[in-house]
Amino acid sequence: MRVLLVEDDPMIGQVVRDALQDAAYAADWVRNGQAALDALAAQHYDLALLDLGLPGKDGLEVLDTLRARRNLIPVLIITARDALHDRLRGLDAGADDYILKPFDMAELLARMRAVIRRRNGQASPMLDNGVVTLDLATKQACAQDGSPVQLSGREFSLLQALLMRPGAILSRAELEDRLYGWGEEVESNAVEFLIHALRRKLGHDVIRNVRGLGWMVSKHS
Amino acid sequence: MDGFKTQLKASLQFRLSFILSAVIVAVAGIAGVFSFFSALDEAHELQDDVLYQIAELMDQQHLVLAPGNASAHLADGDQDSYIIIQRLGPPAAGYRPPPEGALSLPGNLAEGMHTLESRGDTYRVLVKSRPSGERVAIAQETDFRDGIARESALRTLMPFLILVPILLLIIPRLVRRLFQPMAGLSGEIDRRSFEDLSPVPDRHLPTEVRPFVIAINRLLTRLARSRETQRRFVADAAHELRSPMTALSLQAERLGESDLPPSARERLSALRQGIQRGRNLLDQLLSLAKAQSAVDPAITPGPTSIPVLYRRVLEDLIPQAQAKAVDLGVTQVPDIRIQASELDLGAIIRNLVDNAIRYTPVGGRIDLSAREVGDMVELCVSDTGPGIPIPERKRVFDPFYRVLGTEQVGSGLGLAIVRTIVARLGADIDLDFSDVAAETGLKVTIRFRQTPSA
Repeated sequence: MRVLLVEDDPMIGQVVRDALQDAAYAADWVRNGQAALDALAAQHYDLALLDLGLPGKDGLEVLDTLRARRNLIPVLIITARDALHDRLRGLDAGADDYILKPFDMAELLARMRAVIRRRNGQASPMLDNGVVTLDLATKQACAQDGSPVQLSGREFSLLQALLMRPGAILSRAELEDRLYGWGEEVESNAVEFLIHALRRKLGHDVIRNVRGLGWMVSKHS
Repeated sequence: MDGFKTQLKASLQFRLSFILSAVIVAVAGIAGVFSFFSALDEAHELQDDVLYQIAELMDQQHLVLAPGNASAHLADGDQDSYIIIQRLGPPAAGYRPPPEGALSLPGNLAEGMHTLESRGDTYRVLVKSRPSGERVAIAQETDFRDGIARESALRTLMPFLILVPILLLIIPRLVRRLFQPMAGLSGEIDRRSFEDLSPVPDRHLPTEVRPFVIAINRLLTRLARSRETQRRFVADAAHELRSPMTALSLQAERLGESDLPPSARERLSALRQGIQRGRNLLDQLLSLAKAQSAVDPAITPGPTSIPVLYRRVLEDLIPQAQAKAVDLGVTQVPDIRIQASELDLGAIIRNLVDNAIRYTPVGGRIDLSAREVGDMVELCVSDTGPGIPIPERKRVFDPFYRVLGTEQVGSGLGLAIVRTIVARLGADIDLDFSDVAAETGLKVTIRFRQTPSA
C-alpha cells in the first residue's frame, strides 16, 4: 500500500511517516499543497493523509482540486480545526473521514484500514470488537480465546445488532425491534433471556449492561 | 437638612423638581403682587370715574340740590356705599355748621379730586363748579372704596393661589415620569446576564439620553471585542499547542512499539500519562473558549432528546467508569426534549459525569436522572464521592480551582465550562450533597426553563 502524507509540521510529519513505515506502508511525505497535487498527478497512491492547515494552498483547496480532476483517491483529513462546519466542509468536499489532532497512531491506522476497506467494497463478513468475533455467514461467534460457538437465529440477530456499532448503547425496545418482525408478538424478558444465553456461551463480559439505558459491547481497545 | 442637600446635589430629577417649583413660586409671587396692585389701581380709577360721571350727569340734567338739604343720601343700601353730594358754601359766606349727614368741608377747596378727612373717616371728594356758579362736592368714603378695590384685586390672585399648589404637586410627578426612560434603561442594563454584551436599544429614548446610550453601546462593543480577542487567543494558543503535542504523543507511542527494558517501559508509561493530561487540558481549554464564544450558526439549537443525550454521553464514558469499577447508570429518564444544541448539553453532562468518575472512589456509583417540575426541566448527576463542602461551592466554578485535599488530575476547567454554557443557555446550576444527612456525595442539578415547543 502506498500512502501520501501531506503535513507541513516537520515533527508530526516525520513521526507519522516513520510509524506508517513501521506498519508496512510505503509512505511519501510532502509539506505543501502544490507538492501534494504534483505527487498525486505523477504517482498512484492508495490513500492520502491530508492536513488542512497547509501553507500556500490549504488542505481543502487541495481536496477540491483533486476531486475536480476526478481523482477519486481515498482521502483522510488530519485537522486541528474542530469547528463543526470545518469538519462538515471537509466531508462535503469529498474526504472519506477525518481525524482530529492530537490523535493516536493506532487510531489513525484503524481509520486508514476502514477507509480502504470501505472503498474496496469488501465489507468484511466478520464483525469484531476485539472481544468477540461474529461470522455473518456461519452465525458462529468466537470469544477472544475460546473456540467458535454456534448461535441460534435470535442470539445471532441480537449480537449482530450490538456488534454493528461497538460501544453504542441499545435499549430494550431497539433490540426487540431487531429481533421481531412486524406483527410478531414480543415475548417478555426475551432480551434478558437471549443475553443470558450469549453470556453463558461467550463469557459474562462480552455484553455489558448500562443501568437504566440498555446494553452494549465494548469498543476496540 | 443634610439629606436634602445631598439629594439636591446628587439627583438631577430632584434638583429639577426643586428648581421648577421654586421658579413657579417666585414667578407666581411677583405676578401676584403686580396684578394685585394693578387691579387695586384699576378699581380706584373706576370709582373716581363714577364720581365724575355723577357730576356730569347733574350738569346735563340740570339737577338742582334742594336748598335746605345740603347733602343727598340714597335711602337704601349699605350705609358705607353712600355717595354724598353737597353744596360747598362760598368762602365769603362764612362758616355754617354742616347739616346732619353732610361732611364738613372747607369752602375754598380747589376744583378736582381730593382725599380728605372728615368726621373721623377718609373720603374721596370731587369738587366741581356748576354753570350756575354753585360749587358741589361729590364724596364717597374711601374705606368702602378700598374694601371693594382690595376685594377685586384679591380675586385676581385666586387663580395663582389655586394653580400654584396644583403645579407644585404635579411637577415632581411629571419630572419623575419624564425620567422614567432612564430608570427603565438602567433597570434593563442591570438585569442583563454576565454574558450579554449586545447593544442597548436606543430607540424611543429622549435625545438628551441617547448620547449616553450610544457611548455605553460603544463601550459594550469594545468590551465584546476585547473579550473576543481574549477568547480567540486562548483558542489559538490551544490550537497551536496541538501540533507539538501531537508530535510528542506520536513519538511516545512509537517509542512504546520498540523493544524497551521493563524499567524504561514503566517510565514511558508515566510519560504518556503526562502527555495525555496535557492533551486533556488542551481539549478543555478549547471547549471553554468555544463555550464562551458566540453561538456557532452551524449548530442547530435543538431540541435535544434527553434519553438520547444521556446515552451518547454514557457511550463515551462507560469505558472510563468501568476501568474504575464505578457503576454509572441512569435512574429516571422520561422522554423530555430541551431547546438547546446537543453539543452544548453534551458538553455539560460529559463534564459533570467526567468529574464524577474522577472523584468517585473505586466501587462507587453515579446516577443520571431527568425530570419535569412544573415548567422546568431538571437534569441531575449525583455521585458517591466526597462531595463539595459548602464554603467551596462558590469557587469551584472558577477556572483551575481545585478543592483542597484532592489529588485528582482533572483539567480544573470542567465546572468552568459547565457554568459558562449553563449561563449562556439561561439555565441555573445548583450544587448539593447527594447524601445531605451524611454530607457526602456531589449532586449537581441543572434547571432549564421549558419554552413551549412550537
